[in-house]
Amino acid sequence: MTKDLEHKFIEEFQENQNIVHKVCRIYTNNQEAHNDLFQEITIQLWKAYPKFRGESKLSTWMYRIGLNTAITLYRKSKRTIQTQDFETVLHKIESTEYDATEEEQLTLMYKAIYQLSDIEKALIFLYLEDKNYKEISETLGISEVNARVKMNRIKTRLKTILNP
Amino acid sequence: MKELDLLKKDWNKRTNDFPKVTYNDIYALIHKKSSSIVKWIFVICIVEFIFWTSLNLLIPESYLDIYEQFHLKTFLQISQVAHYIILSVFIYLFYKNFKSISVCDSTNILMQKIIKTRKTVNCYVYYNIVLYVIISVVLNVIMLSNPTLLINSLGLKIKDLDPDLFLYLYIAIQTATLFIMCGLLWLYYKIIYGILLKKLNKNYTELKKMED
Repeated sequence: MTKDLEHKFIEEFQENQNIVHKVCRIYTNNQEAHNDLFQEITIQLWKAYPKFRGESKLSTWMYRIGLNTAITLYRKSKRTIQTQDFETVLHKIESTEYDATEEEQLTLMYKAIYQLSDIEKALIFLYLEDKNYKEISETLGISEVNARVKMNRIKTRLKTILNP
Repeated sequence: MKELDLLKKDWNKRTNDFPKVTYNDIYALIHKKSSSIVKWIFVICIVEFIFWTSLNLLIPESYLDIYEQFHLKTFLQISQVAHYIILSVFIYLFYKNFKSISVCDSTNILMQKIIKTRKTVNCYVYYNIVLYVIISVVLNVIMLSNPTLLINSLGLKIKDLDPDLFLYLYIAIQTATLFIMCGLLWLYYKIIYGILLKKLNKNYTELKKMED
């Protein structure tokens, strides 16, 4: 029984693993920290899986547990080295983007996002993942109005950073 | 905001950058041990329960003899029984709160439940401190009201001692012990809240502020 469940979980997780990778991308800034958080989220998902009844979509459930782990349960690795981070980000952008202005804007945006608080990161992450305000408010446990207000503030902040 | 659309586009485009974690990797991952703060909180809470409960058991038998001379043994035995009943209530509440923590709840509810669980144990610690202070005061007042008996029961010879000096020394030692205990507790809680719960408290405050 456990073996069957384990097999089912691993199959489903494998298909949706990018959700976890994306949570790690927004909350960590180097590969080691990314792997650490990825491991913790995977463990939390597995621990919660026997109680997953399919009332919500598996992906919605994964977003929630992923973010809860990153924001609340996970303790940041002390080994995080700040200087490496942006270099990694810049390198990635250089290899995928060719428009100089766009590249510059993206670099600034990613830098700005890394400086946001954990809660703000969750909001911008769900926005980037095309989640509506209802889902955002349900995931974080705040009202839809407050989610909207906070999101607008973050957007304004990003705008100010880009157009000082 | 067109910059955000640009970011969204780039964000989704980079999905293919991630390494593909294989079936065997995932299998290995789910058999690893979690290092979440909930687990740490559980361990620390259990240690606190054991520590504070075992303090009672550390009182040497000889002390009970001293208390008996002051007819305090029954008082101590009754307070001990009451203490164990209260301890059971605390353990039940802690277990109930701990079991209610679910990673599937919304972030806000999850944080509230973790904080509530911690608070149960904090209350147990505060209860212990208050209990120790009250019992110390009661015992000291009763014992100091009869210094001759106290000196004798401690096995000291009264002719060697100036009763006034003894009284001052006794009070000074008791007060110093109290302050040292409080200092150590303060340090301990600074460590727990400073290291373990700093992030959680900060994020919870931010969420609360958004709701105000």
